Amino acid sequence: MRQNEIDEILRDTLRQEVAETTAGLVGLEERIVIELGERRPRLRVSGWLRQLLAPTRGGRIGQLSVVSATAAICLLLGFFVANQVGLDGGSPGIRLTPSRTTNGGQEVLFVLPALDATDVSVVGNFNSWEPTALSDDDNDGIWMASIPLPPGRYEYAFVIDGRWWGQDPLADEYVQSYGEYSSVRYVGGGDGA
Amino acid sequence: MMRSARAWKAGLTALLLVGLGTCAFAQIAVSEFEQALRAIPVSEIDRYVAAVELVLNQPDFPAVEVFQLIERLAMTPYSAQEKEALLFDMVVAMEDGLPVDGLVTKGLEGLARGVPVPQIKQSLHQRLILLAETRDLLYAKGIFSVAPGSPQSVPTALPTPRFNLLVTHISDTIADYLEGGGSPFEGQTLYQEVRFRLTSLEGVTLNAEDVDLVLKRIEPADMTRVALSAVT
Repeated sequence: MRQNEIDEILRDTLRQEVAETTAGLVGLEERIVIELGERRPRLRVSGWLRQLLAPTRGGRIGQLSVVSATAAICLLLGFFVANQVGLDGGSPGIRLTPSRTTNGGQEVLFVLPALDATDVSVVGNFNSWEPTALSDDDNDGIWMASIPLPPGRYEYAFVIDGRWWGQDPLADEYVQSYGEYSSVRYVGGGDGA
Repeated sequence: MMRSARAWKAGLTALLLVGLGTCAFAQIAVSEFEQALRAIPVSEIDRYVAAVELVLNQPDFPAVEVFQLIERLAMTPYSAQEKEALLFDMVVAMEDGLPVDGLVTKGLEGLARGVPVPQIKQSLHQRLILLAETRDLLYAKGIFSVAPGSPQSVPTALPTPRFNLLVTHISDTIADYLEGGGSPFEGQTLYQEVRFRLTSLEGVTLNAEDVDLVLKRIEPADMTRVALSAVT
């Protein structure tokens, strides 16, 4: 076989291979994009957390999202509690403003959010420091008791699953007693406090 | 119809029993106090019973609370001497004509909190001193107490229950302040604390004129003097 014939065969073979390869490349980019879209990776919880806590821009955005979400949940919870206890004054829920009793005293509402508690009570100088149970009828973690009290100054604390808690956010003041805090409410008076 | 009548009778009987029970509990006899004191037991039973007899009929004596304190104290796992030491301050206050409300409620709180009896005793003893010093301060300022119904010799002589309320609230405020770690030398702060307490109760449990009278006559230096008496 002569040299020029060999060259001709080689040229034909190469041309054929290039033609086949080129045919396979037609629309390849489009196919890759479609496939990538279909195969969007799913982050597992651990991966999601890793990304969340990563010191990258994306991670910081994730952290911001978590902070925002927490704030939103707190706000919603706040609105819910306010609605439950009637802080807005117009809601039909239970009102924080004490209602008057016949002896000039008031029905005083004791409210405490204790989500994981199983037993919540209030002790104070109005019940000789013997527990009066709070109830959470709808299991939303908001415990309440309405106690009629004559006018006066009352020291008290909540007992959550046997643990004393003397810093009621609704208290008028706090005192330290035996090294622990007690809350104080003033009942009666012109302002209805 | 018959069933309904029976239900009414049962309900009324139950109500009557509850009512009688409540009355019996509210009117605690001296003999019941004596029995409770014997359960501790106290060494000078006659002295304790006499002190209770002395104040039992006073309108502002918290008989139920005192009885509860004795009963609960008897159940604590402390020696009779330690229990008696706690009650002793109460008896001294009764004999001296001082109001015991503040002492009793502090004692009950301490027991409920599971505070060791000697520590409760320490707190009550400080409060007893403050009660006596506060009363003496008011006397020194020309504010006196007269038995209800007795002729009022001077305009600043207040009926005993009103006078006792002032003594209780002023001394309790100072005691709370000291127990919270406050310095007796901060007379101005102490005075403001007392002012806040008294004005918060003005028209509630305290007579507005009484509060006005006291706040006009006491000074920050008086508060320091009273507070120092309890810590020295």
